[in-house]
Amino acid sequence: MRPFSYIVPRTLSEASIAAKKPGALLKAAGIDVVDRMKERKHDATELVSLLPLKDRLATIASDGLGVRIGALATLAQIADSKDLANAAFAALRESAGIAATPQVRNRATAAGNVLQLARCWYLRSSDLQCLHGRDGTSCLAMVGDNRYHSVLGYLDCVRVHPSNLAPALLALGCDYSTELAGKTTRRPLRDLFPTEPKAEADEHTLLPGEILTAFHVPPQPMGARSAYRESREKLSFDWATTAAAARVVIEGGVIKEASLVLGAVAPVPLDRPDAAKMLVGEKPSDELFVRAAQRAFVDARPLSHNGYKPQVGMAVVREVLHAVTR
Amino acid sequence: MTKDLHDGGAFSRRSFLKGASAAAVGSAALHANADAHQDGPKSYAQGAHAIALTVNGKEHRLQVETRTTLLDALRDTLDLTGAKKGCDRGACGGCTVHVDGLPVNACLMLALDAQATQITTVEGIGRPGHDHPLVLEFARCDAMQCGVCTPGMVMSSLHCLQTNANPDRASVQRAISGNICRCGTYGRICEAVAGAAKRMQGEKR
Repeated sequence: MRPFSYIVPRTLSEASIAAKKPGALLKAAGIDVVDRMKERKHDATELVSLLPLKDRLATIASDGLGVRIGALATLAQIADSKDLANAAFAALRESAGIAATPQVRNRATAAGNVLQLARCWYLRSSDLQCLHGRDGTSCLAMVGDNRYHSVLGYLDCVRVHPSNLAPALLALGCDYSTELAGKTTRRPLRDLFPTEPKAEADEHTLLPGEILTAFHVPPQPMGARSAYRESREKLSFDWATTAAAARVVIEGGVIKEASLVLGAVAPVPLDRPDAAKMLVGEKPSDELFVRAAQRAFVDARPLSHNGYKPQVGMAVVREVLHAVTR
Repeated sequence: MTKDLHDGGAFSRRSFLKGASAAAVGSAALHANADAHQDGPKSYAQGAHAIALTVNGKEHRLQVETRTTLLDALRDTLDLTGAKKGCDRGACGGCTVHVDGLPVNACLMLALDAQATQITTVEGIGRPGHDHPLVLEFARCDAMQCGVCTPGMVMSSLHCLQTNANPDRASVQRAISGNICRCGTYGRICEAVAGAAKRMQGEKR
């Protein structure tokens, strides 16, 4: 790591002002940031630590109208949270509980997981210049080794969104809160991700100095359940090759509401409303889930090395739908 | 030259590294404390700073740079070389230490972030003349070959036993799933943890 100065804010507005300066980088636990700085992918001159604000930002609490997950709550906290014990929140516990390793989950935060830099080996290399962040002139993965890259929803950069937690949060219809210049804003989580995930755009829509402070999980009706499943190459310390989070509300054996979000197959966590709609009004069955899974990947455009992804992804969707209706 | 190498450790790789890092710190301006500005947040400028870390129940005053990881502070400054630097990216678990009772990767934690926490390393888990049951069982089961992963394995296993006095094999496997053993001694490590659980229950009786 190159030398940097380290800022200890006392308030969110101090953190916000410090983070706006050119060369400044916000960090929570620093799992991804320290990694990137060691790789010289980022040479921040100032690191603004949010850990001093942990007392305010790391709690998970039911507020009667749902559950508020502080931005600095750790993945281990989410996986074991009593406030998220209900079957409706299972996708959150499951996605947080299988990310990385026990050691990483004990420090990695909810916001850090959602906002980590994409794991593309070309864009994370300090030796290569690619289109991402306007460093280079082309997407190296588009024509290179793209076995872990996008099959859906990509434009000029085929990175995938690496977060486990994001598909689960989206499937549950969460909001997120931010603070910028003393102003708190709450928006639906889909607004955190670009609608056009171009190479030169950030992977999130936060403004300079804007700090993600919490995720808000809405209250769930009776019969609501959720689940998360993913495929990966190793049982531990791996990122998903495909992932799916589902939420359903079941009444009298019939699916009344459904949502389905894919992870690790597109530059953003990808909502699949058309596939989810096929489930509504139906009784759970394998035949139904197979059709929904096909729908979820109907417009897949595999690259040269990731033709397996739609096949495996459909199996994962089928599996998550079985899990959520079991 | 041969004499030097066999001269009771008069000059070792470790003492060379220590000397080099002391020189590096000495050449940078030492900031006694972080600067506190009335009109802005506290900040630690680039360079060396005096901080305190509580390791194995004892407070240590030491100098670190802003970019020093907890792992480097433990190994290079405090001479606690139990935690190992394998991948230095949080992937191997060789650097596992407990921070406030939870296993974490010391290589991904800045030393500045470890201030005001309780740090436990593998050196701190027994008492003099009384090895920890995990250490005894790792030895009895021969649960290692090269031994590089062992301190991290012990720290992950310790947390497993602290949260579950009688863990089944699946729980042990989950607990050590962030630690890589390139020699493949996982089976014996699981046996050692089971043995330690029995030993610890016996000690309580």
